[in-house]
Amino acid sequence: MIMPGAKQISVGALLVALMIILPLIVNSGFALTIMSQGGVAIIFALAFNMLLGQGGMLSFGHAVYFGLAGYVTAHVLNGMANGDLPYLPVSLIPLVGGLAGLFFGILIGFVSTRRAGTAFAMISLGFAELATALTLIIIFFFNGEEGVQTDRWVREEWFGITYGPDIQVYYLIAVWCVIASIAMYALTHTPFGRMSNAVRDNPERVQFIGYNTHRVRWLAFSLSSFFAGLAGALHAVNLEHVGFETVGLAQSAVILIMVYIGGTGHFAGPILGAILITLLNAYLSDISPAWFLYLGLIFVLMVMFAPGGLAGLIMMHEPIRRTAPHLFMRMLPAYAAALGTSLVALVGGIGLIEMAYFLSTTVSQKTVFTLYGITLDAADFWPWLVCVVLAAGGGFACSRTYPRLAESYGWAMHEARAAVAS
Amino acid sequence: MLLFLMASGLTLIFSMMGVLNFAHASFFMLGAYFAYQISHHIGFWPGLIAAPILVGILGAAVERYALRPVHRFGHVAELLFTFGLAFVIEEVVQMIWGKVPVPYDVPASMNVTAFAWQGLDYSAYRIFMLLISVAIFVALFFGLTKTRIGLIIRAALTHPHMVASLGHDVPKVFMWTFGVGCALAGVAGVIGGNVLGTEPGMAIQLGPIVFVVIVVGGLGSLGGALIASLLIGILNNMAIAYDFSFYPIFTALGVEREAEGVLGDLVGLTTGAIAPLMPYLLLVLMLIFRPRGLFGTRDV
Amino acid sequence: MTYAIEFRGVEKSFGNTEVIRGVDLAIEQGEIHAVIGPNGAGKSTLFNLITGRYHVSRGRIELNGENITNRTPYQVYRKGLSRSFQVTNIFARMSVYENVRCGVLWSLGYRYSFWQFVNRRRDLQERTESILAQTGLTSRRHVPAGLLSYSDQRALEIAVTIAGGANVVLLDEPTSGMSSSETEQAVALIRDISATRTMVIVEHDMGVVFDLADRISVLVYGKVIATGTPEEIRANAAVQEAYLGTKAA
Repeated sequence: MIMPGAKQISVGALLVALMIILPLIVNSGFALTIMSQGGVAIIFALAFNMLLGQGGMLSFGHAVYFGLAGYVTAHVLNGMANGDLPYLPVSLIPLVGGLAGLFFGILIGFVSTRRAGTAFAMISLGFAELATALTLIIIFFFNGEEGVQTDRWVREEWFGITYGPDIQVYYLIAVWCVIASIAMYALTHTPFGRMSNAVRDNPERVQFIGYNTHRVRWLAFSLSSFFAGLAGALHAVNLEHVGFETVGLAQSAVILIMVYIGGTGHFAGPILGAILITLLNAYLSDISPAWFLYLGLIFVLMVMFAPGGLAGLIMMHEPIRRTAPHLFMRMLPAYAAALGTSLVALVGGIGLIEMAYFLSTTVSQKTVFTLYGITLDAADFWPWLVCVVLAAGGGFACSRTYPRLAESYGWAMHEARAAVAS
Repeated sequence: MLLFLMASGLTLIFSMMGVLNFAHASFFMLGAYFAYQISHHIGFWPGLIAAPILVGILGAAVERYALRPVHRFGHVAELLFTFGLAFVIEEVVQMIWGKVPVPYDVPASMNVTAFAWQGLDYSAYRIFMLLISVAIFVALFFGLTKTRIGLIIRAALTHPHMVASLGHDVPKVFMWTFGVGCALAGVAGVIGGNVLGTEPGMAIQLGPIVFVVIVVGGLGSLGGALIASLLIGILNNMAIAYDFSFYPIFTALGVEREAEGVLGDLVGLTTGAIAPLMPYLLLVLMLIFRPRGLFGTRDV
Repeated sequence: MTYAIEFRGVEKSFGNTEVIRGVDLAIEQGEIHAVIGPNGAGKSTLFNLITGRYHVSRGRIELNGENITNRTPYQVYRKGLSRSFQVTNIFARMSVYENVRCGVLWSLGYRYSFWQFVNRRRDLQERTESILAQTGLTSRRHVPAGLLSYSDQRALEIAVTIAGGANVVLLDEPTSGMSSSETEQAVALIRDISATRTMVIVEHDMGVVFDLADRISVLVYGKVIATGTPEEIRANAAVQEAYLGTKAA
């Protein structure tokens, strides 16, 4: 990780400015909800990447801290509302969530981090299932399937903020998002942050330079749970309801997919993934029932071919951009060809999937629906044929264009390196 | 019994290849769905043979074309891949067969009560399930102990690198192992799908429990998988069937039935209510204190 | 005076296989002590026993007079003993500079601090630069460690080992796989760093051993059959029989 140079700071400032201005430009309630969700997701994703990308620990149960903190926050809000608890400005409530996450993270982390790799992943899975089961058993705290309802409007705060209107909640989330991101970025530049990376790369060697690997992991786990709890608190404030699914495997899986697709190897990767997946989920899940399938397929393909995620793919071109950006023009034909064949294959493939979904989920006997704006009958033969041809043809063409793309990239990297050497 | 079938397949895959097949329960689900399709058009008995084979071939193909390139990225990447695979399979199943359970039923010939014992009826089908599982266990046992390929597999269970160094075509063995492991899960799906209900959520229901079984039984140990699956199955059934209440313990400690808050919830607990918890508690405890499991030869 | 390292009756078995069968050895302060012997004699095991990677089956190991038997690797390191690895064991994704800096962190007292910034700390910077200079890696400080040439990686291995200022250093086959010119460079480096440290070196290259070592111990079948100056060892009949060979008649 590089220290923030002028470029990073200006990009960061731009993003922050965007966060501030956006809701004023885009004036729909729906968009505001998405942006709020996105903000929460960014914090959660960055927290998760403290474990995965920076610490090398794959957890299937990080939502436990997110969810538990959410429940704690909901109860604290309720407690403040009926006078059981002393008042704390809702603006500062996320800290409560963070502390809750930290508390559970320290406890559970101590035992979890004694193992690494697959064992760690399985322990996290076990705790996720345990937590889910507990939410249905301990009714007093979790209220079973109904979940806990809360109200984010407690009292008027400074500047007349009540958090009644959604837009105020958005800015609350935005502010905490920026604070949390800066904090987590700063952490990567501390001795702890460096040793966490070292443990990821070579846990054994770390011991031979004086560090207790378990301690490093435990600390990473605890801090990560703090930020996950912070996100959970904001989630509770935003939705005013916490349900049992917030601690479960599905929630953990979503954040894992977000972070991985965004890219685990770069700090901004999870941010990218969180924003992208939140947006896509909001807009695509209405358009297509197959949205989750597409997401899963993208994830699998990334694991197989682009383990660095989107951020990794982008940063792969950084050396070229830095030393010989004019080469991008020369790379364009190969990249465009690959893009073109991919689109063809995708059109066909998506068509097949959409038709299949339509046929299997349709309640009535109708088989006519619209695909890409074209009305067609899925019971007919020819739409299937067209799609198969497109998919197969596109796929075959891809097998020709992608090697060229790789060649083009390799050539450009070679040229860029030569430019540096000379 | 289903647990054992699935656990044995998973143990084989994990022990041989070090890959924890997150999608194992998904192949179980595919077995059930394939059996449904086949039994719908042809019959149950052909399905019993064909479905596992289809699942096995699919598994082998997945290993050969998809999992293999991921090997070089390490175990975490493999785990992520099988996780993604599970996700995709579940969605594909929904795409083809829909979200509603499909009517995969026990064949009429076996849907009769064989006998009753201790107030519970045992249907002929359950006997059949038991017999199949026993038969497979016996076949596995003899296959592994008496044949040459069995010897290689057993060696690879504990010393995979050595086996490769000895010149065996490890990639091919991997492919077949993965295929057979998935086929075993498929068999479990065929014989269990009609009892448990065949629907897209069945993988996520059974999946984590299978992990518990192989971890508790011990990795690298098929015998451990058997014992652990029996143990967990029996504990689960007993907890639900006998439904002990924890109330006596609490009264001994002086807690009232009408206690407030968390205590109120805990007082009313019965073993039946916490039955879902128990396997995971066992998993976590085992991984913390004895990662080898009960009979394991390798650490996770 | 206390010995830098002392082995007393150390034995180590893996299951039924005895690897170390009773080693009594004393390494003197400030010397360069080479441990030689045929393959499988237990040399690496000896290192692993000192550093706590393995536990002894029997016996006692002392560092500067303090009992370190069966301590964990990080505890042993904190007492002032550091080791390098025969198979390069560095942090591949981090740059050379960051590798060395990680090695420096503990010794400068930073522990698990998550409130200080590494890039701002002068002492970290200076110490890291000096180690880089000493091992000749300054020009490659920003290269990811995984991309270094083999001999640079070996140099980095040594750099990380000495970064923490340990005054007893174990080097496990530092010149393995090197060409003769690379070996010369490595020997110069080792001689350089040995000025202020006690070194124990496992080596197969006899040229290096006889060039560098103040004293040599010969380990055969888990036992030290001889300890002495290079001349004494060269002349020792038992050693010749077991390992060095006699002059062609």
